[in-house]
Amino acid sequence: MSRALALKLEPYFYTAPSLLLIAAIMLVPLVTGLSYAFHDLILLDPLSGDFVGLDHFRELLDDDGFWTALRNTVVWTAVSVALQFTFGLILALLLNRPFPGRGLVQALVFLPWAVPGFLSGLTWAWLFNPVIGPLPHWLQGLGLLATPQNILSDPHLALWGPIAANVWWGIPFFAITLLAALQSIPKDIYEAAAMDGAGPLLRFRRVTLPLLAPTIAITVMLRTVWVANFAELIVVMTKGGPADATQILSSYIFTLAFQRLDFGYASAVAAVLLLLLLAYAAAVMVLRHAMTERA
Amino acid sequence: MATITLSRVSKDYGGGPVLRGIDLEIREGEFVALMGPSGCGKSTLLRLIAGLEEPSGGQIHIDGRLVNDVAPKDRDLAMVFQSYALYPHMTVRENMSFALKQRRLPPAEITQAVEAAAVKLGLTNLLERKPKALSGGQRQRVAMGRAIVRNPKAFLFDEPLSNLDARLREQMRYEIRKLHRELGATSVYVTHDQVEAMTMADRIVALNDGAIQQVGSPQDLYDTPANLFVAGFLGSPPMNFLDATLAADGALVVEGQTLARVPPPAGLAPGATVTLGLRPERLALADPAEGVAARVDVVETTGTGQVAHLAIGAQRLKLFTMDGRRLAPGEVVGMVVPPDAPLLFDPGTGTRIA
Repeated sequence: MSRALALKLEPYFYTAPSLLLIAAIMLVPLVTGLSYAFHDLILLDPLSGDFVGLDHFRELLDDDGFWTALRNTVVWTAVSVALQFTFGLILALLLNRPFPGRGLVQALVFLPWAVPGFLSGLTWAWLFNPVIGPLPHWLQGLGLLATPQNILSDPHLALWGPIAANVWWGIPFFAITLLAALQSIPKDIYEAAAMDGAGPLLRFRRVTLPLLAPTIAITVMLRTVWVANFAELIVVMTKGGPADATQILSSYIFTLAFQRLDFGYASAVAAVLLLLLLAYAAAVMVLRHAMTERA
Repeated sequence: MATITLSRVSKDYGGGPVLRGIDLEIREGEFVALMGPSGCGKSTLLRLIAGLEEPSGGQIHIDGRLVNDVAPKDRDLAMVFQSYALYPHMTVRENMSFALKQRRLPPAEITQAVEAAAVKLGLTNLLERKPKALSGGQRQRVAMGRAIVRNPKAFLFDEPLSNLDARLREQMRYEIRKLHRELGATSVYVTHDQVEAMTMADRIVALNDGAIQQVGSPQDLYDTPANLFVAGFLGSPPMNFLDATLAADGALVVEGQTLARVPPPAGLAPGATVTLGLRPERLALADPAEGVAARVDVVETTGTGQVAHLAIGAQRLKLFTMDGRRLAPGEVVGMVVPPDAPLLFDPGTGTRIA
């Protein structure tokens, strides 16, 4: 082998182990999974396994369950992330100013993050149960519910149960990352703004928000993808019901694959979800790039 | 332009006083340097004037108005920070117009003010850049520009030059001084650098340990320091301090040799011990036969002259000379002390006696 060729190949040689690992544990399963979408694959049916082309995708278009799940995914993701972000930011701002016992409060605030999603789903399901939980009675007291009923069994309200649990569970993530970003803003920039005649609100709008923007963009993007894929709370709290009213795409995929055992169709739905999330992430990246170009 | 009056101002963060009973009157158009070592409270004092900290006691008046409870944004003072504290997400132009926008000035007026300041500071070509694309010296200018476009009642400088290299520092010293002459605005300048204080200020406020040691013109502080702290802080090489005995006839005796004769100050018993202060540049070399015999320890060449480290018995002192004579370590020389050179300090309290 000539020396020049060897030199050219050298970097690939060094990166090969990690590339092989990535291919083995990510690319191969991904491609395999995607290929299922084009096959008729039902786990307990030994006669299945034929190539069906785009049949699953045609089926999708007429599947009410899919469209409900898609709508629910948008509501579930948008509302959860928006509320997690809002409360997380408020919490980060509160924790950014010194007060006695701040260390302890910080530790407590970050606790929900450490609770397994499964466990918090169960707990919230109990909280919404009128027999043992206080929430239905409180909601009635506030006038939000006519009777202390379990919202998880009402097709029109059930999605709000897992959303509440998800918001509670996801606030710490935003609080931690935004607090870290806040603490990296030098104090004297605020002082300069104060000397320049800016009051607290203006300092927040003209100093804090612009300097947090890069962190906000990246965390919101990460969390959106994450939450859209996060079926655990829904599976635990409502199992997608009542009558599939709370299915989001990822829980619908779970139901299709592991309850109806229709891996082929489930993979087709998963492929659509993957495409949607890729498109979303690309849009955020483009937006972020445009923002930093301007900045 | 404004007068700033501090009366009995004190500050305590809870761990003992940082400032104790500061009384100071800063006159209209004056350039005052708050000078002292780190931890002396000079920056705290500036931040109290700015309104970034609240005094624990005493009163601060700006133009006769009590401002203890007035927010920084309503004091109409401009501050130049040591770190420059430029807004990293804004261009130079946006940085400089920020304060004017808060006041809702018409855009045309803002543009005009910013561009005039940019010309003054040589920033015209940098107006559309972000701070991270600027050098340290340029950032420093932007920080100055942000202050001068506002045309504030007074400028507050918090060690603005300490992040610059020596050459740039000297140039900015001159430019700040020139700007002050053009604008005539009251300026308060915090520095730990005695050269900055000496060269720039109309008056120096020497601070140590949270208390004012002396207030006066640079020359006053240099020639007639109130105590050992001020005497030792100003001057490079610093003043020599020797343990001396004052004889009845006014002779100052160091290690058995009479260095000089002074009119005996009142209230000092003959034979009293004093701390003798001598500026290195006031001492002159002579033949070993004349003057006080001293042995040369080390010689430092500065270009303009030589600093000779001398030993008289067990005591050491420095002498600065510009005569071209070559000094060699180990050589014994004669040293002459002019009669008006000695300053006498009380060794206990550090206060100057004569």
